[in-house]
Amino acid sequence: MDLLKKQYSNTSHQLLLSVAEQMKLPLLQIARQAELGVMGVENNYTTIQTLAENSLHLLDGYSLSLQLAHQYGYQFVTESVSVAAVLYDANQQLQSLAKLYDVQLELNIGGKYGPVIANRKALESAIVGLASALIEVIPAQMNSNCSTLHLATHRCRYGIVAGVYASVPGLSREALRKGRKLYGLSRQPLVGISHSSGTGIFVADSIFRAMKLNLHVSRHRRLYGLGVVLSPSSQLALV
Amino acid sequence: MLKKNILIIEPDKILADTYKKVLDNSYFNIQVVATAQEGILAADAHCPDLVICELQLVNHGGIEFIYEFRSYKDWQSIPLIIFSSVPPTEFADSQNLMIDQLAVSRYLYKPNTTNLQLIKTVDELLA
Repeated sequence: MDLLKKQYSNTSHQLLLSVAEQMKLPLLQIARQAELGVMGVENNYTTIQTLAENSLHLLDGYSLSLQLAHQYGYQFVTESVSVAAVLYDANQQLQSLAKLYDVQLELNIGGKYGPVIANRKALESAIVGLASALIEVIPAQMNSNCSTLHLATHRCRYGIVAGVYASVPGLSREALRKGRKLYGLSRQPLVGISHSSGTGIFVADSIFRAMKLNLHVSRHRRLYGLGVVLSPSSQLALV
Repeated sequence: MLKKNILIIEPDKILADTYKKVLDNSYFNIQVVATAQEGILAADAHCPDLVICELQLVNHGGIEFIYEFRSYKDWQSIPLIIFSSVPPTEFADSQNLMIDQLAVSRYLYKPNTTNLQLIKTVDELLA
């Protein structure tokens, strides 16, 4: 039990460092955007608002991951959740950030998938964290011809996969494994994928782990991405 | 008067756009790229008068870019600014490497450098 507590404490500490590192970027972006306004070059209140809101989502996700992992005053309830609805809501939240980074968001929620067992708030927060991290990455890739991020769901033999997909070179199991070891300790734990600390991915990973789910590199059509396998809620599918 | 070419290697799109707006005037041509490889290609195509480079890039880092860049004779005397989120204190033991081998003109720490300070430094180096 002590070992488990120590492990949680270490990962929490790493996650906190990673969040602190990640927060520098939007604060820097906001400071420089505000300075542009002061210099009389341009007033970008919309950009500042979007950057601040996205940072708040990250912080929300981080605190939720801690609450879930340590059960601090948060009743973790699994319920019957529609993946399509979660992806749709996440897509709505991410539109303005995607626009800032010139990334197209595409929803692939076709197909008749029944509800899954999950915590809706946690699932949505994790998907938003993952997608934000990838939105930031796409323009930083060399020859990023594909600037579309897909929020998608599909069926696999273990259940229903919900994830975010793009043609991001370097996204592999090995890169994710290394990143998991390095986040919080390195400024660039996903060096082949992201120029920043990619904290949205690790916050999502932490949320999924607390939900006893496993984030993994998966494929959707011909795109690589990050997804999670969710168990169908067969009980409610009968209704 | 001939415009000076400035090459900015900045992976974050929002910051890249901001710095481009800040430096864009009638004296400078600004070119922005996101990766080290694109930086070399852009330098080859446009022959910059000044390079501004972040160290944290995807795949090949900024230091790798500078080594590669300085390995070409034509580019050895072009002023180069490291403009990074990595604090310069991390390179405190490598001052000689930065100045002698890589010929880094200035090291600016992004969180402590305002847009006006960036303009001032660029003006100084291109004067």
